[in-house]
Order: sequence, then structure tokens, then C-alpha cells
Amino acid sequence: MMIRSLAIALALGLAAPAVAQDSVVRVRLNSDIRSTDPGVNRDGNTDAVMMHLVEGLVQFKEDTSVGPMLAASIEVSDEGKTYTFKLRDGVRFTNGQPLTSADVKFAWDRYLRQDTNWRCRSEFTGGVVRIDAIDTPSADTVVFRLDRPSALFLTSMARADCGAAGIWHRDSLNADGTWRAPVATGPFTIGEWRRGEFLDLVKNPTYSALPGPRDGHVGNKTALVDRVRWQIIPDAAAAKAALLAGSIDLNPDAAASDIAEYRARRELRLLATPTMGVVGLLLQSADPLLADVRVRRALALSLDMPELVKALTDGTSVYNPSPIPVGSSYYTAVQRQGYTRNLVEARRLLQEAGYRGQSLKLLTNRRFQSMYDMAVLVQAMAADAGLKIDFEVMEWATQLDRYSRGEHTMMAFAFSARLDPALSFEMFAGPRATQPRKVWSDPAVDTAIREAMATSDRPRRQAIFDDLHKRMIEAVPMIPLYNDTDITVYRERVQGFAGWAIGQPRLWGVSLR
Amino acid sequence: MVFNANMMIGGGLVGTISGVAALATVWTPFSPTRVSLSSRFQAPSSLHWLGTDEFGRDVLSRLMVGAETSIGVALTTTVVALVLGMAIGLTAGYLRGWVDRVLMSLNDTLLAFPGILFAMGLLAVIGPSKWGIVLALGLAYAPTVARVVRGSVLSLREREFIEASRALGNGAFYTLIRHIVPNTVSPMIVLATSLFGLVILSESALSFLGLGVPPPAPTWGNMLASARPHLERAPWLAIAPGTMIALCLLGANLLGDGLRDLLDPRSTR
Amino acid sequence: MFGYALRRTLSAIPTLVLVAISVFVLLRVVPGDPALLILGDAASAESLASLRRSMGLDLPLWQQFSHWIARVLVGDFGTAITNGQPVLPLIIDRFSVTAVIVLLSVLLASLVAVPLGMVAAWRQNSATDLAVIAGSTLLLSVPSFWLGLMLLMLFGVWLQWLPVVGYVGFGENAAIALTFIIMPVVTLTLIEIGQLTRMARAATIDVLRLDYVAHARAKGLSEGVVLFRHVLPNAFAPTLSLIGVILGNLLGGIAVIETVFTLPGLGRLLVDAIFQRDYPVVQGCMLFIAAIYIVVNLLIDLAYPWFDPRVAVE
Repeated sequence: MMIRSLAIALALGLAAPAVAQDSVVRVRLNSDIRSTDPGVNRDGNTDAVMMHLVEGLVQFKEDTSVGPMLAASIEVSDEGKTYTFKLRDGVRFTNGQPLTSADVKFAWDRYLRQDTNWRCRSEFTGGVVRIDAIDTPSADTVVFRLDRPSALFLTSMARADCGAAGIWHRDSLNADGTWRAPVATGPFTIGEWRRGEFLDLVKNPTYSALPGPRDGHVGNKTALVDRVRWQIIPDAAAAKAALLAGSIDLNPDAAASDIAEYRARRELRLLATPTMGVVGLLLQSADPLLADVRVRRALALSLDMPELVKALTDGTSVYNPSPIPVGSSYYTAVQRQGYTRNLVEARRLLQEAGYRGQSLKLLTNRRFQSMYDMAVLVQAMAADAGLKIDFEVMEWATQLDRYSRGEHTMMAFAFSARLDPALSFEMFAGPRATQPRKVWSDPAVDTAIREAMATSDRPRRQAIFDDLHKRMIEAVPMIPLYNDTDITVYRERVQGFAGWAIGQPRLWGVSLR
Repeated sequence: MVFNANMMIGGGLVGTISGVAALATVWTPFSPTRVSLSSRFQAPSSLHWLGTDEFGRDVLSRLMVGAETSIGVALTTTVVALVLGMAIGLTAGYLRGWVDRVLMSLNDTLLAFPGILFAMGLLAVIGPSKWGIVLALGLAYAPTVARVVRGSVLSLREREFIEASRALGNGAFYTLIRHIVPNTVSPMIVLATSLFGLVILSESALSFLGLGVPPPAPTWGNMLASARPHLERAPWLAIAPGTMIALCLLGANLLGDGLRDLLDPRSTR
Repeated sequence: MFGYALRRTLSAIPTLVLVAISVFVLLRVVPGDPALLILGDAASAESLASLRRSMGLDLPLWQQFSHWIARVLVGDFGTAITNGQPVLPLIIDRFSVTAVIVLLSVLLASLVAVPLGMVAAWRQNSATDLAVIAGSTLLLSVPSFWLGLMLLMLFGVWLQWLPVVGYVGFGENAAIALTFIIMPVVTLTLIEIGQLTRMARAATIDVLRLDYVAHARAKGLSEGVVLFRHVLPNAFAPTLSLIGVILGNLLGGIAVIETVFTLPGLGRLLVDAIFQRDYPVVQGCMLFIAAIYIVVNLLIDLAYPWFDPRVAVE
């Protein structure tokens, strides 16, 4: 009996991949999503999945600029303080209701309420701008009135970690106003969700697509498969086995160290896409030893950056001395100027600073292999210049806590993507007194960043960013190293998949052969 | 005194490994922490007998230096766990009654804690260090020892010779030390050798979380943990420390069995 | 017997209270902030404060504790911070996955290890003995992630006999469910055999030296009868203690194996919750695991006299 049922099970197990009734693309997710409430209880995976379900007024295009999604047009008036969004015609929620300006206002009102805990609320209550009013003069017109002009208003709206400020129907809420499930306008709707195991997205048959090709989070987002199954596989080695065995079709988060092996397999395709996250070393200038800029510079000069980056990313990324990602349109020759290894100069600076072999403490963790490897290599390279570094390995949550308190001497760190160069500087520069996590406290720098945030004058912004870059190279508050490269591996039957700088996998426009 | 073949093999293994660890304090083929990006992931060769790791460091040198740390940590942790666990188990098992209930209640509290949470909490307070790990793992394993000791004592105290000792008017403490402790030696030695291995592996698990012996000091545990992402590209990175752990445990077990024969009061051999 | 069980159960209450307090304190001692983990590196001070408030983390510790414990007493373990699920059903759901694998593995491991240990002890210092020791030591020193991955590659990827990811409950389809748990059960069984064989061998050696075994042999009983009638029951007692400890340990979660084989078990739930600082889930898991310990140990203690008649249950 036992043996027979085993045999049947084996047969079924073998046959399972072949008997697909509807077309299903199976994608690895390294941890379960946290909720379906966009931009509220979230993490990177949640954002990626949510972008298949909800859409905002504006979202990012392939080139990381902002484009209209649910909006048909955007008009800016009153010196940049009034934004008028015309909604697209014929967009329907998955419950059949048409999209109206009242829905936009309803969703936004909830986002802006404090008890919603929307991640990006503070950006719109004074951080980037303050939204003074949201008016709905007609069913297809929404007007946002702001307290000041900002170059970042639309960018902040479009951020995936803000849930793209996605517009959903009020049926998404329970009677008591708590979140139930998204009833929205995206190319997919939510199907079966077995927490910790898998999450199914089902094609939205009534999806109203934009014309043209796929373009970032905008463009034509028509689903070409019936179902997307996000299979939750936390372990990298298990995910690799699953891909090789054909249990999943696509792994958007493959390890760089396995590239060679994947390339050698005919049934697999590999895609390396540079993203906008920044990996680097944070230096705490409040530390007695690092307070001396000569010590900081000596550290930077002791590192062989190109070799370091090559080793950390298995050759998939290149050294980027700037916090501005390589893919940004503001990335020019200036941003390419970084440090070149010079041990003689490093030793001289250390001697001048009166360095006597005291050790510096470098914080890192083992959750992210590249951060751990960075610590090992930085330690070894700095030792060549006579600089002694000890490292302290901690569990990730602990390190993040120390980061936010600014309680560290040096830290290997990875910043999530910032989609505007002003934000790329803002992420580590600011007054330490009120924001302890910031490592670059210089009032002149803050003023420059604020100006870059307010103005939309492109040459002026470029000039500010170039100047900030030179100052940063001088002051060494942080040593940016590289932008992470996403490695996606998929089985050859998957058609039409493309990576992009934002890094989140998109399963619309993807089909199976 | 009679030595048997198994014990000779065990002693030989333990002796050799200790010798290697001792040698490492004065000499290794290469520096165990010297990074060389031009020679990453080199397979075993005549230059690097056991290959190089993801940072181009010589695996043999790291293995030699790691022997000292790993064995040191495992040994001290085992002793801490044994001493604590025996104290609790003997007292609880022999006295029974409310003492037993109170002690076992505390013991169960400790047992119920997953080692990782316990270690994280303790190491967060005292900071990750070799001695922090000894303390955390020692405390984490002591309750297991206590349970097993208590089990043996419960069974022993009903035996004729214990009753005889009591009938002769010997005090509880005397009976415990003179008659019960020697009879728990044998399960203890077995448990100690098990623990010794578990500690080496637990240190590996802790390093995987970033809570092990602080790097770059090599231990077999953290070498094994670091090898994990490279299992296919560089299998020698896992095989080398894995083999050392296996040999070390085998040696300890065989030696432990032999020692037990020598120490056991009833041994007639 | 029944009175004893009842008293033991009542005496477990202080243990549970101790666990509740210590886990609560320990979690707050460990640095890390669930709100910060949700908001990440771009968190603003304002949104952090607001999120902490909505999680109730801005209250004084004693208030957080009393709120939690008051709800636990009426069977409400709260909801998970990470995904808003009610904690108790979540734990029970995950436990059912872990329990099946652990119970099967420990049973299989005991069936193999006890006879193996006895034979090794009976033939002490022979080549058979050495082989058994070497084999069990090898199993003991193999890291479970390595063994698991090797099985996964062999049966899942190369031979394609068994599914690589996913899980199907026995309630849904027993035959398919079986295919998903074969590899984890085998991995765990092999590792436990290493531990149990050595214990069984040691216990048997002790018993073999006792006078009554010599008497039994002197009476001319066959070796088989001596071993099974006289040695096995006595040697089993200390092994049983260890099985209890192992069972308690494993039922609390086999995080590594659950991770390698992508099983939605209790161990992964707890480890993830610890990393995410999901306080309600960690606290709930800990109470649950403590309760399992108490039950398992009670059962073992009740079973003791059955194997070793000299120990009376009070």
C-alpha cells in the first residue's frame, strides 16, 4: 500500500510540470510579502508584487523618469504649486467600477492620515512638499495644491516603496476602514495566497492597458500569462536547485557566484542588470580617529577600488565613486572621478595625522554576503597602508539599529535605490543632531541639496551635483563603491522578460513558449 | 591498565590534531588571514595543498589555526555544560521532591529556549567574543546534560548498592559523590563527546548568523559556514573543515570510550 | 498515575510563566526595531515614531507585557507584525508540518539506532563496533544543510525523483504529501541516528557489565534472550531520556532543514520572526515550544517505569 501510493506520488510528481492547464509562470520570491496594503506594511518583495496589482497616477518609466499611468495628462501651474491630473478614460477597477477623481481623493486621504502609517506620508506632509488640498473639480480631474514647488513631488509619488501611491477602490477596505485586499486597476488580481509558501496573481481580464510597448512601471502592462505564481524560497541554494529541476521558471535574485554555471546550461538564460542601489562604506566623522579627514582619505587611498568591486560582485558591477547611480541621466565624467590606490600617499597622510596603529571598528553582517566580503577585503587592503581595522559582525537587524542611531565607526552598508540625485546625497548627508544616521553634517551641503530639491532647472541641478561630488571626494564621509547588479536567471521557455534599473521583476508582457 | 585498539586509534587522532594545532601557533605554510584577490578559489595544488578560499587565503593554514580555536571553544563549552548540568541533574534526581520540581522547572525554561535566540540575547549583551560563545552555548547545552543525568540518577538511586550505602548511615552527599557520580561517568563521557561535536557545529551555525567567533580568525565552524555559497564552485572549502570535524569527533569518541573503560568502577578488563 | 500527571501539569505553570517573562525581557534586550526593519534605510523619524506607536512599542515595558499576558490568558496571542496574521493559528499550522517530519524521523532513527548501538556494544572493540562508531560519528559531524543540499541535488535535480520546492499537507493528498517529506525525513533521520546510536551503545555497555547479566548468561540463556529480555529494557532508559530531549528540541523547529527543503515549519517561522523582530510571533512560539517540552518530558517520565520497573512513579 505504502509502496503503491509512493509510486503514484512519484508519477504525479514527475508529471506535474507537464500538465499545465492554464499558462503559469513560476517566479522565486526570497521571502513572503508582508501585506497587500500598498506602501504600508511592506518590503522590497511586497513592492514588487504590489506593482502588479495597483497603479498610481504616475509611475516610473524604463529610464527612471516619471510618466503618467492612471493620469492622462499632468498640468503644472501656479509656479509649480498646483498639479492638475486628468484621469484616463475607460479605466475600471477589478470590481467593474470606473475610476473617478473621488477614488483618487479617497485613496490619497487615507494615505495622508497618520494612523494609516503610509511609509511616505512624511514626504507629503512637509518633507518633500506639504499637500494643502486635493480637489476634485470633475469626475476625471484631480488637483493637488502644494505649499511650495518641488522637483521631487512626482518622483516621490511614483516610488514603488510608497506603493506608487496606488489608487484602489474603497471596496479594498473593511467596514471599519482597515485594509482587506486590493481592488485596483493593475494587470493582475490576487489569487490564492498561502503564507510562507506561495502567492498567485491571476490575469485581470478587463485590464485597460496603455498603448505602446512596456516601459518601466508604465506603458503597456497587459498580462500574457494566466497566472503568476510567486514561490517563496528563502534559501539561495534551494532556489538554484528549484530552477535546475524546473520547479520554477525564473529567479530574479540569483547569486553572482553561480553565473558561470548558469551560462553553461543551454536551458537557462541569464540577465545582468545594473540597479540603482548603492553599496559602500559609511565613515563616522564623529569618531575621534576618523574625525581627522586625513585618516579618512588614507583609508580611501588604501583601497584598490576596481579590484575590490570586481571581487565583491564577481565582475558584474564596476567601481562607481558617486552616490548617483551609473544609470542616472545626471551621471557624467565628473561622477566617474574617484580614488586611485596610492599606498605611499595613504601612509604619508596617516603619519601626518599622527596615527599610531589604533584600530578602527568596521560593522558588517552576514545576511548580505557582499557586505561581509567587503569588510574582509577592506581590512586586508587597509592593512597594506598600515591602517588597522577590526570588524564586528552583527545580525542585520542589530546593524540597522546601529545605523539609524549613528552608533558606529565604520559600516559596510547598502542603500536602497534613490531615484533622484538630490536624494542620493540626502540619504547620507544631513544634520546629525536631528538625524543621527547621517554621516555628512555640513550646513553648506544641506543648503545645496535643498536647492537641488526645489529647482527643476536641469543645468543648475547638474552643477550642484558636480560640486557635491567633488566636496564628497574631499571630505570622505562615505566611500561609495558600486551599484548592485541584479542577476536574473530563467528557463528558456520564458519569453519577453527584461530587467531594468529599478530592479523589480515585471511579469506583465511575459509569456511562455 | 589495558588499552584497546579503538582507544589507540582515538588517541592517535586526537594527538595528531592537537599536534597540528600546536604547530599552527608557531608555523603555518601561509598567513591564515592574508588576502590575495589574484588567487581566489584555487583548487588544491602543490602550492596550496587544500586550495584557497573566496578571498584567496590558504585553506590549510586556516584549518591549522582554526583547530586551536575550534577545539578550545568546544572543550571549554563542553566542560561548562557538563559541570552545570551535572550539578543540576544530580541534585534534582537525588533529592527529588520540591527541589526536583523547582530545578526541573528552571531547566525546562532554559531547554525551551531556542539556542539561537538565547545566544543572540546573551551575545547582544556581552558582545560577540570567544568567551561569550562559550558561555552562551554552555548555558544552552547544560539543561540537556541535566536531564540525562537526572534520568540516570533516578534509576541508580533505586539500586541495591545505593540503598546499602544509605542503610549504612552514609550521608546524602557522601552517597552522591561516592556511589552515584562514578556511575554516571559513562553516559556523561558519551554525552560530552556528543556535545563536543554539537558545539563545533553550533559555532558554525552562529557564524552563519554573524554571531560566531569574530573573523577573520578562522574556526572550522566559520570556514564551513563561509563555504556554503560555494558548495559547487569550490567543494574543497566545505570538505576540508568537514573532514577535520569528523576526524576530531571520531578521535574524541574513541578516546572517550577508552577513558570510560579505565574510569568505570565496574570495569573488570 | 493520573494524579501524578495532573501534579506535573500544574507544576508546569511556573515554567511557562518563567518562559513568558524571560522571552519578553530577552527580546527587548536584543537590539533591533521592527518598525525600522519595515521602513528600512530611508525611514524618517516621524514615520518611525508613528509606526512604533501603532505597534504599541511606545508604551512602557511593563504595560506592553501586561497587555500581552492578559490577552494570552484568554487565548489571544495577538497578530504578527510582519503580516498581520493571528499568531496562534499560524503557529499551530506551522507546527503540524514540523511535527510530522520530526516524529517520523525520530521513530525511524530510534528503530535503527537502538539495535545498532546494542550490537556494537555486544561486540565491543571489534571491527563491527569500530565501524558503527565511525559511521555514527560521521553522521554526527555532517552539517544538516550540507546533507540536505546533497539529497536535494541528487534526488531533486539529477534524478528528478522527488519535488524540489513546495509542500502539500497530508490532509490534502497523502500520497503527494509523502513525496515532499521524504528528503527532509531522511536527512533528519540520518543525523539523529548518529546521536542515538552512540547513546544506545553506551547504555548497553553499562548494562552488560551488571551482575544479573552474568547470572542470566550463567543460567545458560541464549545471547539473544539475554540481550532482548534483560539488556534492552535496562539500556533503553537513558536512551529514552535523550530521545525526549531530542524530540523536544526538534519539535521546536528544524529551521535549517525547513529552509533547505522550503517547508513552512515552525523553525523557519521562529527564526524569521526573530530576524524581523516580530515580537508577538516570537513570544507566541516560545510559549508554545515550552509547552511542547513540558508535555514531551511528562510523557517520557511516565514511560520511564514502563522500561525500567525499578523507578516507581511516586
